[in-house]
Amino acid sequence: MKTMSKLLTAAALTGALISTTTQADTLDIGVLLPSPIADVGWSHALNEGINAVKEKYGDGVTVNVVENIQEGPDADRIMNKMVGDGNDFLLLGSFGYMNGGLKLAKRNPQKSFIHASGYKTAANFSPFTAKYYEGAYLMGMAAAELTKTKKLGVVSAFAIPELISTINGFTLGARSIDPEITVDVIWINSWFDPAKAQDSAKALLAGGADVLFSNAQDTPSVVTVGEEGGAYVFNLNSSMKEYAPTKYLGVVKTDWAPFFVASVDAHLAGNFEGQNQWLGMTDDVVVVEDWSDDISADMKAKIAAVQADIVSGARHVYDGPLVNQAGEEVIAAGTRLEDGAILGIDWHVEGVNSPLPK
Amino acid sequence: MVFKLVKREHASQWMLLVTPLLAVLLSIVVSSLLLVILGKPVLLTMHSFFIAPFENFYSITEVFLKFGPLLLIAQALAVGFRAKVWNIGAEGQMIIGAICASAVPVYFVDSTSGWMLPAMALLGAIGGMAWAGIAAFLKTRFNANEILVTLMLSAIALQLLYYLLLGPWKDPMGFNFPQTVMFQDEALFAPLFSGVRLNTSIFIPIAFTIAVWLLMEKHFAGFKLEVGGQAPDAATYAGFSAKKAVWVSLLLAGFAAGIAGMSEVAGPIGQLQRSVTSGYGYAGIIVAYLGALHPIGIVFAAFFLAVLQIGGDVALVSADLPISAVQVFQGLLLIFYLSVYTLVNYRLQPARTEKTASQGVSS
Amino acid sequence: MLRVSNLQHANAVIKPLSKHTHTLLSLRDITKRYPSVVANDSINLDVHNGSIHAVLGENGAGKSTLMKLVYGMVEADSGTMHWDGELVQLKNSAAARKLGIGMVFQHFSLFETLSVVENISLTMPGSRTELAEKIKTIGERYQLVVNPNASVHALSVGERQRVEIIRCLMQDLKLLILDEPTSVLPPQHIQSLFDALRKLRDSGVAILFISHKLDEIRDLCDTATILRDGRVAGTVNPKETTTKELATLMIGREVPHIQSQRDTVQAANTVLRLNKLSAKNPDPFGTSLSDIDLHVKQHEIVGIAGVSGNGQQELSRIISGEWRPKTLSPDAIEMFGQRVSNMDPTQRRNLGFSFVPEERLGRGAVPPMSLNRNALLTAFSQGILNRGFIRKKKLSDFTDRCIADFDVRCGGNNAIASSLSGGNLQKYIIGRELMLKPNLLFVAQPTWGVDIGAATAIRQRLLDLRDQGIGVLIISEEIEELFEVTDRLYVINGGKLSPSLVTADVTPNDVGEYMIATHSTDSAQPEAHAHGV
Repeated sequence: MKTMSKLLTAAALTGALISTTTQADTLDIGVLLPSPIADVGWSHALNEGINAVKEKYGDGVTVNVVENIQEGPDADRIMNKMVGDGNDFLLLGSFGYMNGGLKLAKRNPQKSFIHASGYKTAANFSPFTAKYYEGAYLMGMAAAELTKTKKLGVVSAFAIPELISTINGFTLGARSIDPEITVDVIWINSWFDPAKAQDSAKALLAGGADVLFSNAQDTPSVVTVGEEGGAYVFNLNSSMKEYAPTKYLGVVKTDWAPFFVASVDAHLAGNFEGQNQWLGMTDDVVVVEDWSDDISADMKAKIAAVQADIVSGARHVYDGPLVNQAGEEVIAAGTRLEDGAILGIDWHVEGVNSPLPK
Repeated sequence: MVFKLVKREHASQWMLLVTPLLAVLLSIVVSSLLLVILGKPVLLTMHSFFIAPFENFYSITEVFLKFGPLLLIAQALAVGFRAKVWNIGAEGQMIIGAICASAVPVYFVDSTSGWMLPAMALLGAIGGMAWAGIAAFLKTRFNANEILVTLMLSAIALQLLYYLLLGPWKDPMGFNFPQTVMFQDEALFAPLFSGVRLNTSIFIPIAFTIAVWLLMEKHFAGFKLEVGGQAPDAATYAGFSAKKAVWVSLLLAGFAAGIAGMSEVAGPIGQLQRSVTSGYGYAGIIVAYLGALHPIGIVFAAFFLAVLQIGGDVALVSADLPISAVQVFQGLLLIFYLSVYTLVNYRLQPARTEKTASQGVSS
Repeated sequence: MLRVSNLQHANAVIKPLSKHTHTLLSLRDITKRYPSVVANDSINLDVHNGSIHAVLGENGAGKSTLMKLVYGMVEADSGTMHWDGELVQLKNSAAARKLGIGMVFQHFSLFETLSVVENISLTMPGSRTELAEKIKTIGERYQLVVNPNASVHALSVGERQRVEIIRCLMQDLKLLILDEPTSVLPPQHIQSLFDALRKLRDSGVAILFISHKLDEIRDLCDTATILRDGRVAGTVNPKETTTKELATLMIGREVPHIQSQRDTVQAANTVLRLNKLSAKNPDPFGTSLSDIDLHVKQHEIVGIAGVSGNGQQELSRIISGEWRPKTLSPDAIEMFGQRVSNMDPTQRRNLGFSFVPEERLGRGAVPPMSLNRNALLTAFSQGILNRGFIRKKKLSDFTDRCIADFDVRCGGNNAIASSLSGGNLQKYIIGRELMLKPNLLFVAQPTWGVDIGAATAIRQRLLDLRDQGIGVLIISEEIEELFEVTDRLYVINGGKLSPSLVTADVTPNDVGEYMIATHSTDSAQPEAHAHGV
């Protein structure tokens, strides 16, 4: 990885030397984020990735970040202005920017766009999503060891495939250790609603759950409820350990740096190709860390083994046999759910109690 | 020292013209100070706010794209405010308008009929009016405070929108993302020029402005509304129905907001999604008052606020200003405008207090 | 003017020695300008202790401004005020009260839900029992008896006035200012007020008595200063001056006479009839109407007398159609033989009914609107609208005609209603209503706050209308006015109407009896007081 980036830097430098008189020697990168860059959460994780790009290219890039922009016509105008201001590489940090971003990409074929969480692609427009389910599977294993009630609770944002697949991964991981475990899910239909998230977390605790999963909540709301309520808790994107010092199970972190750097590299090299970027542990994008000390060494070893298998490809979270909530076998033993099916998943595996909102 | 405001007998006409310029000047001075403290480029920010919106054709069309819904909603709200009917729920009426209009392309996904757009406008208008009509009914039947009712109805409208987007109306091919299908071209207003988002819906607010001007300045119905607002006893004496004034005010606002909502989903958004109003329902209240509740004043106020918002978006990108700084600048402009306007119409006079009085008595 | 300065000079010499009277208050060259008018122009005024000093003048002559200056509510632009020979500058009314100046306004400042003693304790130190005791003592000394524990809302207007005067007397009072105190009282109670005031005077208090009722002033006051257009028109001894002379000083010319050539008309039609009209007032402090029978025929003026607050408001709103209680029986109100209980004001107007309400600003006219716009209020059916659109020319023609025919002094048809004086606005509203050519005209308080000249013109107009055959109904609290113009009278008292009285056959005292008959507790109050404490 490191040698590759050195090579690319060299290439970029050479390029810069050749075209000394043009302005194109620095790349302007526009970043549009749905929420403020806080100390934790989604926008924070994206910004960390962008910082890695800055670090690599130094004066070679100028990054223009506009944060806290609601989806809608205003966001479209701001993207448009970013392009107009000469930003040649755009990072659109919310699925709500999809349709506006796609139109813009089609009008500006020379510019490259990466777009978080979406599903539409174009020649210069790549949606990117993390395979959170890989990390969630490992978390499920840890949770299975620590739960006494055998009930796990999830506070989740929207019932989109990205989050459904994560809940499934969590469930599969837990039940791989203890098949009696069940999972309850509350959909709050918001990325950012601390009050609702906390109420939901408390409801899950009241329902008997003793491990909580904060699925795509941009605030530490659920995490603090876990600490106060004595339940283990984990979350996505960035570590919130300081909000639950004694009950933090760990974090399924997203490290966007490798992907962002590679995308910028590709853009500079002129071979950016719009495609669904679905990135997991193999790509160093999904990273599981900050493990709780309460997890036994034995279990830690088991988790490490599974992790190694997933990275090597020997094992897949969605290996059959897979049974859905209705008890029907969807994938037989020996086969594996295809990527396309996971990307569009609209069903829960057995063990998830709550029905999926339709 | 306590001061009180005393209305001036004759507000200087010349001053009224200078007011906006003075307000702009004051907010430039104060925000420049803030920008220096923040370490942000002052000139670039000012350029973003006041020049960039007019710098190229696209920006100008964007100003008018914002101008339309602001104008439409503010004109209707002003009619109600002049009749002292406090509808602050245009936001909710706009959402319902957007929802009802969206029903057409959601249920007739493949239709290419030329009636799509008219049907959407009709449904949007009816939806907005029905939503406002609830407040009118509760006000006239049970004397329920329309401020609370319209505000609460806005919250309900939002939840209804969320429900539809998560449930029955979500795009079947949209992987559960909370949004409807993208509307077909027949369900969209045609762009006025190629490559811009400004579309033919801009003519609706303009026509509506003329209609409101005729209503309030030339027509007996507007006179009746105004009497009801300025002297309710005189309205009763003359035999003008107060209930009718409530109905007319709210239905008019519901109509305008409904059409505005429809114009957004059939315009720049092109689908129904979680944020459809861009805050026009609330901004419309500011515009109405900024325009002194007068149909012509509101035209200028809506344009001013549109420029301010477009300028703000530019400042976000070009001057690297955080969104909160942009909002502070916009807020400063409004505050200075209103203060200067008040001081032109009123003068400050020290209120006499007990303390100063006792010193004056010599006995 | 000369005479006044001489007086002042004389007083300056005798003041410290006189054991009877001395100059308590002395105003010199007081001027107060408002943006559009000079309210007081170089006013000189001397008030002696132990005397009742009338300040009289028409509406807008500057009486109220002058009193507010003395009471510290308004500051003069120039001029001086001496109190007991010392120069003072009053910054507010608290300072005035400190000097011993008290004022009773036309509109009382009492809390209806509190008792008398509670009201007084709001501004006076001391325990309730002490205060109640003091109220009783003062009441007995000056014949201002009132039960300290009675709730204010249960008191008659006269009693409330007493409470206000007592409140002034609770402190060491040297000068009492009374603003039109008799305008709210029935005739019987006027004399007892005067008795109390005379007692006060004899105890050494100076009284400034503001009024425009000349007979009262001649009866009560020792000195009278007449204001006209913000200036002092003269200072006289009213007992040695005729009413006519006073009136001439007040309006600057001779008072016109009202003439009536009444032809006796037979077989006149009834234009208004109320049949056992009863209506419960939803306001707990309002008056409910019960069993009201009334009729008005063509060719007659019918008056409704009564102390204010006895149901006049309610009755006028129910006749005009502004208040339409659902419980009203269908035949409760008939106009021109038609049942109108369910008709709104516009429908009644279309039948030939016109109404001039007592509040001119805010009800009869919209204050910030022009006379043109105000004409639309009721005259919209006079060919002014074309499919709802206002025909500007027709409208201004209408307004211009009204202004010309009814001698409305104003700055043209675009003048703002609130810029007109009370009298001119009343002429405008009456004119507007008459231009609708009604067959039944109903006027509430036709000359309230209207100067004598305008009042005379209005009364003359009412008589002319009657002579033309129109039925006129008037509600008034001024008995003199009713006796001047009406043919028949009713008295309203506690929401009930007296039998019809032929004006020529009764005296003001008879009417007064009806005003206070069963309802008022004024005469019964001393007993209640004795039991109550």
